[in-house]
Amino acid sequence: MKDDEIKKHELKYQDLDHVDKGIVEKSVKGGYSRRDILKLMVATGVTMAAAENMLYSGNVAIAATPKKGGSVRMANTIHGPDDQTDPMLFTSGADYGRGRAVYNGLVQHANDLSPQPELATSFEPNSDATEWTFKLRKGVEWHDGTKFTADDVVWSMNRHLGEDSTSVIKSVLATVKEWKKLGSHEVKAIMHSPNSDLPTLLGMFQNKVIKDGTTGDWIGTGPFTMESFEPGVKSVHKRNENYWREGANLDACVITAITDPVARVNALVAGDIQIMSNVDPKSFRQVESAEGVTLLSIPAASQLGICILKNTKPGENDDFVKGMQYIQDRERVVKRILKGKGSLGNDTPISASHGADWCSELAQREFDPDKAKFHFKKSGYSGADLFVAPVTAGIEDICLLAQANCAKIGFKLNLKKVPNDGYWGAVWMKEPLNVVSWNMRPTANSQLALQFGPGSSWNDTFWNNDRMGELLTLSLAEIDPAKRHAHFCEMQTLIHEGSGMVIPAFSNINDGIANNVMNMPTVPLGQCGAMEWPEFIWLA
Amino acid sequence: MVEENTSKEEEVIAKLDAFAELPDAPPKRRMKLTWVGKLSVAVVVFWLVIIAIGPSIAPFHEMEMEGDDSFLDAYSGEYGTFYLGTDYIGRDTFSRILFGARNTIGISLLATLLAYLMGITLGILAAVKGGWIDMGISRVNDAILALPTIMLGLIVIAAFGSSIPILIGTAAVIYATSVFRIARALGQDIMVQDFVEVAQARGEGVWWIIKSEVLPNAAMPLATDFGLRLVFVVLFISSLSFLGLGVQPPASDWGSMVRENLAGLTYGSYAAIWPAIAIASFTIAVNLIVDDISAKSGGSLAKKMV
Amino acid sequence: MMKQMVLQRIAIGFVTLMVVSVIVFVMTSWLPGDVASIILGQAATPETLAALRAQLGTDQPLIYQYFGWLSNMATGDLGISKAGGATISSLIESRIGNTMVMAGLVALISIPISISLGLWAAMHPGTWLDRLVTFCTLSLISVPEFFIATILVLILAVELHWLPSTAYLTGDESFLELLKAVAMPLITLVIVVSAQMIRMTRAGILNVMSSPYIEMAILKGVPRRRIILRHAFFNAIGPIVNVIALNLAYLVSGVVIVETIFAYPGMAKLMIDAVQTRDLPLVQATAMIFCAVYVVLIILADVASILSNPRLRQPK
Repeated sequence: MKDDEIKKHELKYQDLDHVDKGIVEKSVKGGYSRRDILKLMVATGVTMAAAENMLYSGNVAIAATPKKGGSVRMANTIHGPDDQTDPMLFTSGADYGRGRAVYNGLVQHANDLSPQPELATSFEPNSDATEWTFKLRKGVEWHDGTKFTADDVVWSMNRHLGEDSTSVIKSVLATVKEWKKLGSHEVKAIMHSPNSDLPTLLGMFQNKVIKDGTTGDWIGTGPFTMESFEPGVKSVHKRNENYWREGANLDACVITAITDPVARVNALVAGDIQIMSNVDPKSFRQVESAEGVTLLSIPAASQLGICILKNTKPGENDDFVKGMQYIQDRERVVKRILKGKGSLGNDTPISASHGADWCSELAQREFDPDKAKFHFKKSGYSGADLFVAPVTAGIEDICLLAQANCAKIGFKLNLKKVPNDGYWGAVWMKEPLNVVSWNMRPTANSQLALQFGPGSSWNDTFWNNDRMGELLTLSLAEIDPAKRHAHFCEMQTLIHEGSGMVIPAFSNINDGIANNVMNMPTVPLGQCGAMEWPEFIWLA
Repeated sequence: MVEENTSKEEEVIAKLDAFAELPDAPPKRRMKLTWVGKLSVAVVVFWLVIIAIGPSIAPFHEMEMEGDDSFLDAYSGEYGTFYLGTDYIGRDTFSRILFGARNTIGISLLATLLAYLMGITLGILAAVKGGWIDMGISRVNDAILALPTIMLGLIVIAAFGSSIPILIGTAAVIYATSVFRIARALGQDIMVQDFVEVAQARGEGVWWIIKSEVLPNAAMPLATDFGLRLVFVVLFISSLSFLGLGVQPPASDWGSMVRENLAGLTYGSYAAIWPAIAIASFTIAVNLIVDDISAKSGGSLAKKMV
Repeated sequence: MMKQMVLQRIAIGFVTLMVVSVIVFVMTSWLPGDVASIILGQAATPETLAALRAQLGTDQPLIYQYFGWLSNMATGDLGISKAGGATISSLIESRIGNTMVMAGLVALISIPISISLGLWAAMHPGTWLDRLVTFCTLSLISVPEFFIATILVLILAVELHWLPSTAYLTGDESFLELLKAVAMPLITLVIVVSAQMIRMTRAGILNVMSSPYIEMAILKGVPRRRIILRHAFFNAIGPIVNVIALNLAYLVSGVVIVETIFAYPGMAKLMIDAVQTRDLPLVQATAMIFCAVYVVLIILADVASILSNPRLRQPK
């Protein structure tokens, strides 16, 4: 490699001569682990960052010439008799993956989170974003051979609206009044109030377009058809040869789940499955050191949080909240519990992954037992009960660490461990101290509005701040980048100082794949590239 | 047992010995253990001592994450004080085993004893009284026995929280059902024996029959089952940890320690193996003691026959 | 006489079924949350919850739901899973075969091993070999199943690549392919179940050995072989059959950890899933099946015990 000609940190795949390109491609294809290649590159004088970058570009470059054929088995974390067939009720990774394979949305998220047209060819708001017009793709067919039209879209979208809708995302779409058909391939969304984020919201897992008059029933327009579906066992999919896009590369795929985290990793390492969602931090070392598999760690703003309810004891006392925030040993959480695959939290839901909307100038809250002791003392509390369920990897360990550190300053933090099932209904937003996990939302505004919007259904710390409400509206309409950033910074400062939220860390999205799986999407909104994988991956 | 060498004498004494163990003879309490039995007693005593003093001799508290990294090797750490290495979040495995003895042994012993108390009382009551009482208790008992233990545990603990009294109570009720079955069957068996029929004909009361005839005869078979039942309770608690329930953190329990450190096995960490050995050492010791005792009664006879 | 006894046991079994349905119903009502709140999870709002409950019919009083379920059962209709909308018969159909295959294979291998080893150990109590068998079986019983299962996976699947680490069934495999697919859970269960059965068989026979009529036989000077074959073994059949029955019941309903680790779609995991999603009709259906299996096995065990114990054969 010609180090002298190119600055090390700027080294890109494109800059390599064809021989070096060949080496990268060959090593990626040849089943070396990502680590081996990185080691090799670093040994030859490429910096780590450049090597990572190059490897990623290498993957992309190879992806330009995908190979057809083969099948993969993909394992999620949970499944059961509650595996859904109706996209409106999708709640698990297995549901999302099946939805992605069988259906399409109007809009999908790109790796950079921008909304891309899918079954819509274009979308335009009116001047004040109170109406959105969607032009629809022509010549698309359902798996049963019938034609896709505006009627299907109107039916699918209106199911999320109205009093008696059972849609999981009913509240998210509360600003939409109704959907209307304008022509055979044109529809309009009429809003209650302006929403410039509508296309982004339409990229959500539950917003799949289903056939007019059905509840899904696995007749979609998507890249795969449903061959067999056994709830809690598996679903088998075949490539849709009649797909409107170029189509899937795989001949078939199987979507299942292996609930035990250790067994899931073992299945990947043993070669029984090719993709697994959610590698537990305990198993990072195993996946990284095993032959033929890669740990795919995508930085994301997946929150690991402790909610302290502000409308009741002890959270209504600001000093108590401060005590809980200062006792978090954030460095250790990231380094030891998340094994480095995460980033420091600053008690706001916005992280560097949100780009320009992240308030980087807000001082990082440090681990400070003395301050914590001071605030706990001032609050008058000498102990509290924290309800913990294993809602996401690492959250229990964060609480254990906080408990140990509290004990050292004479504060008694009791952990009440409860099972996952029933947690969201019986504990979250009910017990004064509980744990929460939030997947990253595509925009900082939607993230903040969801968790801290005054009156939001999911304001899970019950912290209602009028200024926060104003800023949410202002920032949505602001186009000047500096002013917009100032708005977002003010909001993050308000949350950092006043809310009952403790966010010690953000976790990366950590999935495991076999080395011959190419072109894995990296959309940071959920596991496995927010389940965008079925259409795009191919096997080397 | 017998020192003399003349075969005739030995035979006579053996017969007398056997006779001495007949139901109506006064119970003979001559506890002579083999060296295996003695070793087992030593192991059990060791763990009982650990229950008492473990927390005070442990180098760390069970919740302390003093280790700089997870799955550290034995004798690592600044002063080599992690005698058995650290667990998945850097806690000292040795200290957690010392602390965990209290929960694992305490819960399982108490639950098993309670299960025996309930099971034997109800079982013998059902056997002796018969009729509707027997019918009622037996149907509820069968119903509980027919359902998987892990499901019963899951429901009770998810509904009422996993405090230690709830854990003990749940395990006790679940395992009392099997004890009930054994006790009832033994009771019925004994109730049809000649000596009981004779006693009944003599006009003895129910309590007299239970006290003098049924209990002494049922004691040994029930004792042999005790060791196994104890193992099942330990397993039950650890299988709850598999479902994310069980003992409340940060308290350590050997079963959950195995569970939470399983991932370390692949890179040569013994953090899951030490607690497994602890469980095995305790349960095997208890069972070997039970074996020794039962070998004294049933076994000695069996030995002579073969 | 025997026929009457069996009929009576079946009637009793039916009562047990009803008791189980009530117990299960009452217990699941203790659990926090209901099926609607589980489906909606973190996304639940009061309005969506109300709408979904109305749609699923779970907004009715519990007692009403119970009798609705009972009357459906009477017509042979198992109903529809509240959690996912599939028919319960289809959910069970795909798994009951798997469970039966696994239980059958395990029983086929472990019963002969256990009875012979257990018998043998009971006849040589206190010897070195008995101690060895005792030590091995106890070690295998006392460590949690997930520990044994994980170690087996690491050795046989991850290191040696001899067997698949999970039991993936396509539904159209040959018998040999099926055997290979289920080998790992099969081995694990054979180890766990055999260890328990050896131990319990040994204890059962030792109990018989210590019973008064054997002692009496010895005193009467009956030859040893006769004692073992005519008295001890004959009388031990009852306890041994009982042990087998309980272990078979366990194989059908209790192997949730093995099913989870090897992703083997069986009945035990279905029931735990049903409980965790508060899917009442499905919980009831699986509980009924488990209970029926248990009742049948226990009736068989009872018949065997009674046949082998003349005293119990005579009604009092």
